[in-house]
Amino acid sequence: MKHRIILILFLPMLIAVPASAVDGIPGDANGDDVLTFSEYNAAVLSYLDAVYMGGAGNLDRNDIQDAAWVYIHRDGKPLVVTDSSGRTLTLYRPLRRVVTFSGEALETLRSVGFDMEKVVAVDKFSHEKTTFFPECLDKSDIGSIWSPDMERVVSLKPDAVFLYASISTSACDDIQRRLEASSPGIRVFRFDCFKPATYPEEIRKIAMIIDEPRQGEEFASFYESTMNWIRNGTAEIPTDERVRVYFEYWTAYKTVAAGSGYNEKIEIAGGLNPFAGESGEYPLIDPEAVIVADPQVIVKLAGQGLTVGGYARHDPEALAEIRSALLERPGWSRISAVKDGRVYVIHSDILGGAQHFIGTAYLAKWFYPDRFTDLDPRAIHQRYLSEFQGIDFDLASEGSFVYPG
Amino acid sequence: MRGSPANQFICLILLLVLIPATVWGATVTRTLSTAEPGAGEVFEVSLSIEGITLGGVVETLPAGYSIVGTDHPDDRILVRDRQVAFALVNDTLITYQVMAPSSGSGDITGIWEDFLGESNGTIPASHLAVDGIETEVESTPQERPTQEAAPPFAVLAAVVALIIARWGGQR
Repeated sequence: MKHRIILILFLPMLIAVPASAVDGIPGDANGDDVLTFSEYNAAVLSYLDAVYMGGAGNLDRNDIQDAAWVYIHRDGKPLVVTDSSGRTLTLYRPLRRVVTFSGEALETLRSVGFDMEKVVAVDKFSHEKTTFFPECLDKSDIGSIWSPDMERVVSLKPDAVFLYASISTSACDDIQRRLEASSPGIRVFRFDCFKPATYPEEIRKIAMIIDEPRQGEEFASFYESTMNWIRNGTAEIPTDERVRVYFEYWTAYKTVAAGSGYNEKIEIAGGLNPFAGESGEYPLIDPEAVIVADPQVIVKLAGQGLTVGGYARHDPEALAEIRSALLERPGWSRISAVKDGRVYVIHSDILGGAQHFIGTAYLAKWFYPDRFTDLDPRAIHQRYLSEFQGIDFDLASEGSFVYPG
Repeated sequence: MRGSPANQFICLILLLVLIPATVWGATVTRTLSTAEPGAGEVFEVSLSIEGITLGGVVETLPAGYSIVGTDHPDDRILVRDRQVAFALVNDTLITYQVMAPSSGSGDITGIWEDFLGESNGTIPASHLAVDGIETEVESTPQERPTQEAAPPFAVLAAVVALIIARWGGQR
């Protein structure tokens, strides 16, 4: 009978379907790293045979679902990605269990449409941000890169872990070494997700890793449109006409110098940092030096811990108090920024991490209000939250990010 | 009264309206060219598939019935005894031919899996009886899917239907 003949012809192919391996696409019978249409179909029949018909296939449900995913989303081929540390990784399956040691990577995953159910553990700082990452409340807390709970990470059996690429490299390298030693087949991705120079490429790569290229392109375009608006608006300002900006870190008189991320954002927004040449990225300076520099704009960073503003609190008065305290500093009444009322407070939530483009938009607006009359940082912020983060957060009544607003 | 024709009709309408609307994504339904074939008659079974890009179906026939053909590509089917598996690739309709035994009745049962949607379910059973004559048949055990086709809303719909039926009956 026709179907008996088909069965007889087909059985050897079914038996040839390999077991799920750490590396290799499930169902790729000849192991050439290409899951062809016929291999995929053979894998499906092998799976159905084993599960429902008393056959002896060795693919489980995850295997066949992964095979289908790779077949449809990756043309049956492995995905090869080079992360920001320059390492090339090969993915044979979609990510199912992800651990993030970086809040920025976590946020970017959400921006490009990752199913957050597949994030099984997050760093302790993201875990604490219950307003911004409400879905992480019930996920495992695996500590920080400086104090990682490696036992917990390994016990969760992640298939991918996200770490920083270029900060705290020794701590991240150590975590990576330990993970790769204890969990063969694990993929450790290194991305920063806070640097303007590399963020667009990182967005696209992370979107590619999770097979969401369209959402990645949409978000990268949104990000680039804001940053390009700012860059184009300040590109032609001669150095001697640039606004002098004193940027103060959380600690009094601790500023930023060349090499720091905050200085980069000041420069993108067209500011001129008189302390850019100081040694170290976050130099502590003489209070008198600020008065001598006579900045035209002062920007104070707020938000250490979760005590003031940001997503955690709606308390503009707390930011106002920070600003008032600045104005009362000895000798500051002589500074142009103070005299002209151009002293601002900004929360690190929108300047230091993946949301730096929002904070940079505020800086540009403060530095050059006439050049950026149409730039609406708050509208950009709200769109980011609603459209890309998918969280129900109304900036009109929740959170405090800048003062004056 | 609970079992009155009016109440049964209300239940049926509610279930027909609510369940399909609440089943997300994939559904597979089966129709038969006849439920009462003659002895040795070849009849057709059609599977209508919605919302499955990549998936699979396994159909199990009653004892004595046999699969004799299908329009599905040869390399996407597997026949083992009274069972047939189909690999689905954007398929919306599959037909296969079944030969009836000289006598015998029973159900065609089936399961489906949606690999991309990561869901699975059962295809409602279709009853067969040669010449309409019921006989004792043995059933073939089949793995129960971990997730049934009908989501909680469907169950809710059924409960609502029953409550309405009961309410109607009490009036």
